[in-house]
Amino acid sequence: MMVSDPTTTRDRADSESALRIRDLVKRFGPTTALNRAGLELRRGERLALLGPNGAGKTTLVRCICGRSVPDSGSIEMLGRQLPPSGGRHELGFVPQEIALYPDLTARENLDAFGRFHGLTGGELRDAVEWALQWTGLADRADDLTKTFSSGMKRRVNIACGVLHRPLVLLLDEPTVGVDPQSRDRIFRMLEELWRQGTSILLTTHQLDEAERQCDRIVIIDHGHAIAEGTLGDLIASTVGANRRVVFTLAEACSELAGFTVRGDGRRLVAEVEDVARDLPGLLNRIRESGGQVSDLDVQPPSLHSVFIHLTGRELRE
Amino acid sequence: MIGTVVRVGLLRMWHGRTEILLTFVVPIAFFTIFAFIFDEQIGLGKSPRVDIAIVDEDSTELSREFVTALAEWETLRVYAPAGYQEKLFVFTAAEPARELVLAGILPLAVVVPEGWSGSLANPDAQPVGLQLLADSSDPVATQVVTALLRQTSGRIAAERGRQQLEVLLSLSPDEFAESPMSRFGTPAAIEVIDLFAADKANPVVSMYAAGIAVMFLLFGAVGNSGTLLEEEDNQTLDRLLCSNLTMNQLLAGKWLLMTLVGIVQVTIMFAWAQLAFGVDLLGHLPGFAVMTVVTAGAASSFALTLAALCRNRAQLNAVAVILILCMSALGGSMVPRYVMSETMQSFGKITFNAWALDGYIKVFWRNLPLADLVPELSVLAATALVLFGVGRILARRWENS
Repeated sequence: MMVSDPTTTRDRADSESALRIRDLVKRFGPTTALNRAGLELRRGERLALLGPNGAGKTTLVRCICGRSVPDSGSIEMLGRQLPPSGGRHELGFVPQEIALYPDLTARENLDAFGRFHGLTGGELRDAVEWALQWTGLADRADDLTKTFSSGMKRRVNIACGVLHRPLVLLLDEPTVGVDPQSRDRIFRMLEELWRQGTSILLTTHQLDEAERQCDRIVIIDHGHAIAEGTLGDLIASTVGANRRVVFTLAEACSELAGFTVRGDGRRLVAEVEDVARDLPGLLNRIRESGGQVSDLDVQPPSLHSVFIHLTGRELRE
Repeated sequence: MIGTVVRVGLLRMWHGRTEILLTFVVPIAFFTIFAFIFDEQIGLGKSPRVDIAIVDEDSTELSREFVTALAEWETLRVYAPAGYQEKLFVFTAAEPARELVLAGILPLAVVVPEGWSGSLANPDAQPVGLQLLADSSDPVATQVVTALLRQTSGRIAAERGRQQLEVLLSLSPDEFAESPMSRFGTPAAIEVIDLFAADKANPVVSMYAAGIAVMFLLFGAVGNSGTLLEEEDNQTLDRLLCSNLTMNQLLAGKWLLMTLVGIVQVTIMFAWAQLAFGVDLLGHLPGFAVMTVVTAGAASSFALTLAALCRNRAQLNAVAVILILCMSALGGSMVPRYVMSETMQSFGKITFNAWALDGYIKVFWRNLPLADLVPELSVLAATALVLFGVGRILARRWENS
């Protein structure tokens, strides 16, 4: 599994934006899907777009791709204002669904989408061969993709979006429904692209993916970007460096000052700056109130706690 | 448990309106269409009138009496040139009437040949029968008119018989047998001359081949156009439209594919009809080619429009089955249009199938030159263009949402 080095990525990131979105508004009847949404993907950067279901991630991606016309706002790619549709040759798009022809072979799918992206002749042949090697599917090149496993289909799905070697790549949940080994494989593929200079924006429901595979994170909720930065930035600006301590009691209790009661009343949650210093005091207070601690868990600050802090919801709510 | 299974099934049916439509509405629609076709009581009009031309080459008192009596049948509509004001138009020579039948303007021409009256009056003369110049692509009309000719000639014979009753009574049986009246007592001799089928190995099959081919052309095209909805469903359409491909190119590509497949489909069908049933495909290649290209193009546009109109594949299938079967029934792919009432025949002209079939009939049945296909080709080509345009407008929903 690749772990990004913030220092290296910061060095790589150009000050010029690969993608800059400002004040994007998109309404569907009475529903406002995007409410002045904005974000910036820097050149050579991997940016995770997080948000609960219905937060507006897919609408934002569709607007960037030109598949949905925003009511207002602007989208710039590589310093150029994008028209509502078309004019996106430097953009690669990998949809969430397996957008392949199941009754074509891997090679035929790659060939078709390469042609749709304007590749011909030797350039097309080279791109297809590169993609087959890149996905590790050269030995299955002439098998129908409907016979592939979910992870293999995902790999071909991604390859079809990058055959024309886009400078900016959008991936909508590229690892949905794949096993951990396939996820690793997919992220190794994406890392290869990133190392070659592709700027990557991906939406995901996997917090660990966002934490480990991306340089920065944007959290979107109710159609608006509510936080943006590295994981460290987000933690510092939200939950801080405090540890979260979860006490599990033998019997339920009603309330206890300084603790939050969770679940069936058997779980008490508190935040501490210094675990060694503060933990004995917390245990004493529980004992004095008649409670009996059967277990405890000390949790460091994470993207999960940041996300809940910001949205008040679990990612999949 | 069984009750739960039934309940779940009913709930699923209730949630799938299309299934309800297919289960309950389609049978009613088909019953109604076929009722219109076969039952003149509830149809939109009376049973079809047969258009005929009358030729009186005999030009005698008896022949004039005969053609006048024939024209009085309500079932018959006697041809008259445009602007002709008199009550009854009768050709004096067979050739112009023959041309009208050959051109497909009329299905039949009744010819009273020269010498017909004379042969009736002279027992020693060679019998001269009535002639029916027929386009046997409409066998019902031929049979109806044959029966009417027999009935009319019989009625005149009876009238003549009554007038000569006194003479008849004074004759001996031998003398009667040799008298002219004996001819009036026998059924009129009618010679049906099929102007088309005589030199064809299996003429009727070419019509059925066209009917079935056009119906399956539509089904095939709709099946193919459904890939657009599948592509929309699995986001392949998103991917395609994010590439260099434009919607115009996508639709044109789909249309071209469907048209090519349709051409091959119809060609294979007619090739089989030639091999198995003797339909003369090779002898009609130019007409077949232009009709097939234009028909396949129009079917493709129809299918594209339908796909652009529907929200998903299931809806497309349901709507297509209903529409195509209705069009095929009305347009003559299932039942020849000549068995329908006049109103239904006219109504059938709004369908794609009717124009296509008329074109193929002109090619294979009437052996008409390409120039005579202009009406059918024009209508089908216009249909293709208009429907493609409508489909393109409807496809805007896929471009930007």
